[in-house]
Amino acid sequence: MTRENPRERESRGEYRIGVDTGGTFTDVVVGDASGILSVGKALTTRERISRGILEGLGVAAAPLGLDSGALLQQTGVFIYGSTRATNAILEGKTAKTALLVTHGFPDILVRREGGKTNPWDYTVEYPEPYVPRHLTFEIPGRMTSEGKAIVPLEEASATAVMHRLRALHVEAVAVCFLWSIANPEHELAVARIIKRELPGIPFTLSHQVNPIVREYRRASSAAIDASLKPLMQQHLREMQTDLRAAGLAGELLPAISLGGVMHIDGVVEKPIHMVRSGPSLAPILGQVTGAAETGATGVIVCDTGGTSFDVSLVRDGRPVFGRDTWLGARYVGHLTGLSSVDARSIGSGGGSIARVDSGGLLCVGPESAGANPGPACYGRGGSQATVTDAALLLGYLDAEYFNGGRMRLDTDASIGAVGRIAAQLGKSAEDTAAGILTVASEHMVAAIKEITINEGVDPRDSLLLAGGGAAGLNIVPIARELNCARVLLPRMAGALSACGAQYTDIVTEFGLSLVTDSRGFDYAGVNRVLAGLESSIEDFMQSLRARGIARFRTDYFVEARYRYQVWELEVPLPGARISSTHQLVEIIKAFHRAHESIFAVSEAGQEIEFIQWKGRVTGELDRPPLTPLLTSQAAAPPPERHGKAYFEATGGVDIPRYRGTALLPGMRVVGPALIVEPTTTIVLYPGSSATVTPFNNYMVEV
Amino acid sequence: MSTQRKPLDQVVIAVLANRLDSIVREMTNTLFRTGRSAILNTAKDFSCSIVTADNQLLSSADGLPIHVLGGGRQTQSMQEFHVDLAAGDAYLHNDPYLGNTHTADHTILVPVFVGGAHLFTVAAKAHQADCGNSDPSTYMPFARDVYQEGGLNFPCVRIQRDYKDVEDIIRMCRRRIRVPEVWYGDYLAALGAARIGERRLKSLVERYGGGTIAEFVREWLDYSERRMTHAIRALPAGRLTAEGRHDTLPGLPDGVPVKVIVAVKPDEGIIEVDLRENIDCVPVGVNLSQTCATAGALIGVLNCIDPDVPRNEGSFRRIRILLRENCVVGIPRFPACTSMATSNVTNRLINATQRAFSMLGDGHGLAEGAASMGAGFGVVSGNDRRLGGAPYVNQLVIGNNGGPGSPFCDGWVTYCMPDAAASVMVDSVEIIEQKYPLVIRSLRLVQDSGGAGRHRGGPAGEITYGPLHDPMTVAYFAEMHEDPPKGTHGGKPGSASAVYKVRRDGHEEPLPPIGLVELRPGECIHGFEAGGGGYGSPLERDPERVRHDVLEGWVSAAQAQALYGVQLSGSRTDGSLKVDVDATDVLRRELAPP
Repeated sequence: MTRENPRERESRGEYRIGVDTGGTFTDVVVGDASGILSVGKALTTRERISRGILEGLGVAAAPLGLDSGALLQQTGVFIYGSTRATNAILEGKTAKTALLVTHGFPDILVRREGGKTNPWDYTVEYPEPYVPRHLTFEIPGRMTSEGKAIVPLEEASATAVMHRLRALHVEAVAVCFLWSIANPEHELAVARIIKRELPGIPFTLSHQVNPIVREYRRASSAAIDASLKPLMQQHLREMQTDLRAAGLAGELLPAISLGGVMHIDGVVEKPIHMVRSGPSLAPILGQVTGAAETGATGVIVCDTGGTSFDVSLVRDGRPVFGRDTWLGARYVGHLTGLSSVDARSIGSGGGSIARVDSGGLLCVGPESAGANPGPACYGRGGSQATVTDAALLLGYLDAEYFNGGRMRLDTDASIGAVGRIAAQLGKSAEDTAAGILTVASEHMVAAIKEITINEGVDPRDSLLLAGGGAAGLNIVPIARELNCARVLLPRMAGALSACGAQYTDIVTEFGLSLVTDSRGFDYAGVNRVLAGLESSIEDFMQSLRARGIARFRTDYFVEARYRYQVWELEVPLPGARISSTHQLVEIIKAFHRAHESIFAVSEAGQEIEFIQWKGRVTGELDRPPLTPLLTSQAAAPPPERHGKAYFEATGGVDIPRYRGTALLPGMRVVGPALIVEPTTTIVLYPGSSATVTPFNNYMVEV
Repeated sequence: MSTQRKPLDQVVIAVLANRLDSIVREMTNTLFRTGRSAILNTAKDFSCSIVTADNQLLSSADGLPIHVLGGGRQTQSMQEFHVDLAAGDAYLHNDPYLGNTHTADHTILVPVFVGGAHLFTVAAKAHQADCGNSDPSTYMPFARDVYQEGGLNFPCVRIQRDYKDVEDIIRMCRRRIRVPEVWYGDYLAALGAARIGERRLKSLVERYGGGTIAEFVREWLDYSERRMTHAIRALPAGRLTAEGRHDTLPGLPDGVPVKVIVAVKPDEGIIEVDLRENIDCVPVGVNLSQTCATAGALIGVLNCIDPDVPRNEGSFRRIRILLRENCVVGIPRFPACTSMATSNVTNRLINATQRAFSMLGDGHGLAEGAASMGAGFGVVSGNDRRLGGAPYVNQLVIGNNGGPGSPFCDGWVTYCMPDAAASVMVDSVEIIEQKYPLVIRSLRLVQDSGGAGRHRGGPAGEITYGPLHDPMTVAYFAEMHEDPPKGTHGGKPGSASAVYKVRRDGHEEPLPPIGLVELRPGECIHGFEAGGGGYGSPLERDPERVRHDVLEGWVSAAQAQALYGVQLSGSRTDGSLKVDVDATDVLRRELAPP
């Protein structure tokens, strides 16, 4: 869809493409320096992900008067967000992975770091390790904290283990030896043995994927990373090949869990960075849109796709990050060892399957019909009733204009599928369908409460922002349940994360470790390290300059702590060199100040240890500007058509169906009504209304 | 206060209850991130809580059970001793005779004032690296009385006024505590946690208004009480007696017997625990403080109650603990030594109480959890040549005690022990080796150590470590060497604890289960903690789970056959391990009791 006629626009430079491949739909958003231009949506094609992307690209390219090839040829930056890595782990579809550890320490992944959410709860099973014990092997060899080998590596024993791995048909290998960060020699030697004995089997060394102290986190990073390599490396290479073949000349930048994007070679090398990257782009849109629309610094961002429902938060004007990233619940999931955008995901969306359980209760999800076969109404062989089928039966979707009219929905199939559930429940089809939506809404409300009320945040104090293709079906009852008076649905709501990609920067961090302290500060060593970081940053910037990215920001930091502490605080540095005691004194003062402000105390005069030096480079991409449009004083044009709909409050009623493209800023629609957008449909339940904002989004009063 | 106020909105109650928990979690994070000794910044042996101005525990999210229950008595002593209580004050309290757990736990109390009124007290209780005891250990199992114990006692003394340290107290601690710099850093960490709690509570009251907050407190405690009443009403009635026994100690050839009488009264919605039929105080360091006796019984009860019932003073109104003076499991008589009050006899008390509940029938209560503080929980001390010979003392929390089998699942692996119940974290090998001059040779979980059962007890851990360059002292307390954790409803006991010394030539000699040993470079201590007790007959365990246990090495094929009656075929190493269903049926019939 378009906001203004693109053919009348001057070309203002290269295009920027944001893609988000979910479990069901692939969203494509095209923008340029002037703003977001068009959105395309296509079914995700799991067997070859690029097919769905190219289809979506074709849809998004059409209003620009282009085909997908021409669009790709004029694209400077192609940002790719995907739930593939996360889903592979959650669905247990990662590679069969072995873990090699220091002899004597086989239970690093079993014991993790301990901890339990509720000490009074004896109904919770202890979690299984990420790599089972029977695929964990001990190799003699031991380094000390100072990097001295007090037990030499037994290469023969490592070789013997390789033979067992071959017999077990292991597909990937993770290696984590104690103190490999102090001296990586043993890990590197085992890498040579893997290459020799198991050629072609991908592996990950802990000191390379995540060089941090604490063996559990490093081992977990290595195990997760290795287990993703066969799948993700093939996936990313195929994508790259296919997109290049289709004409892409610009940079392919996968989104990472930290909320920015990374160079594709970096992600191929360390696919763990794509874990939980799926929901990381949505809060960026929440941040930008919330600020522009209402000046909100607190935003709850809900993304309802076909398979999952993700909630994330913007607080104090910034996306909320988690220092520790758990795959699954805290303490019983697995730590990735990296920080990421804090988002809750549940298996609930348009494709969630409804069923009646053995006790006669109506259940919805977490199983999803996905894209294939998809909901019954897709007519692709699905026979189970989904949330989408329920919505169609209730008249909340326009069978003729789903996904911009590119998919016709089969209402009879939905009636059949929902009818089978209704028969089991002994209820009418309409009541059953309404029940399916209510149960799905309940799950979503619970997920929102978990990230807000459970953290002591009152959802009423934040702006609720909803997107994703299925968001409009039930966001009104969800907002009502949360006592939120209104909810913002971006015009491009159907492609929330892919829109967020239009506002992200390229962020990359380089780090080097050098331990020194405030009393005997090693100026020469530190400046050598900083110079090394500076040159890595320069190389990186050079590669982006070649892509026409000209604006950069570089920041240097040091991770520091008081003597005897083991967790660090990040303190900004004045630049890439520390040349005077005056500068050092300023850094020391900044550390005390940061400690005081975060932890309420500081210890003047105490020695400060400097551990890790970091350089961060931000390649600033041209963000589509957000400028308010003139609001129309006119009333909304008459609805395109009418249709039957069923609400619990009113029963069956005839309601207007508005075409979203005809609604201009300032216009208002009163429910019950449907607003049909090409990539989403907003159901205005009786008593609610929607106004198009000056930024061309929908503000729904519930 | 207005009497016309509308009843509080349910959402506001839920938000505020969770907000208090999140404030406590932020306090916890502050202490964890800023602590200096590994027992705080890695093992998390500390707890934060919020107590009302009238001394009722309100929130203790993520705290150690033994630390947080009974915190009200400490804040009460603060009010009694300090009539000039003011904003900007902080108090150091470690007196086990005035509501603290034991001398090694330093508690920082900060009264929170808003608009001139004292509304809450925030507490941060942290196990110290050293507390000035006569031995370099925070536990003194053999001390005759508090004088031989030797730790510095602070009966709720003011340590800050107007947000500034009272230097006299700081100087006392710096003089007598073996690691003064570490102590001061840990004090700051606890103080910072309390000050963060103070800041957040003040802005919470400013945001919602004092009236709303006061009403919320009342409503929340009442609601919690209703939830507890409801949970107790759902239990069968019963009067249950269970006994346990702490291993022998010098002068106590029968050890310390522990007797618990539990009365479950569903019609009144009350549970009563009578501990008065226990022996008098003993002349060693295992007497319980009143707080530990109360908390131990409470933990045993709470472990058997719906986990969703809020744990605060409101729900505790429905639980009565009966204690008597001069009793080893009760109210100690000064100067009895309570140095080990948080662990040894308390753990026996918790175990007996939760096992008593299992007598209500299959589906209730728990088996016993393991509670050895052997090599894996030893207090190491010496001098670190890497830091110019600076002294170090720290308790390791790297061993593994197996959790109890429950009616629902197997014992938790990283259980720690009953009083801490998995809330304490596990040390990182690398962090320990970085901070202290020792090297850990191996750390693994032990096959066949969890008590067999329908739900298996958690496994014991095995550890070997020794000093790197210079001699090191290890104080260790491997209780459960004689009497390992019991199973229930046919579940088997867990494995017993043991400690050995490994000489330079590799030869091992057994050490007494509780003691203090000096190791020279090249020598090691090698120890086993205990396994948890099983719940239900092992013959009722799903054979597929037994197969998984064998595949993963938790259970040997021999025990699978002998105890679980499961016959397996195939091999562990090539993916062919299977249950021989017919042979298993036959075996289980043979093994079944007549």
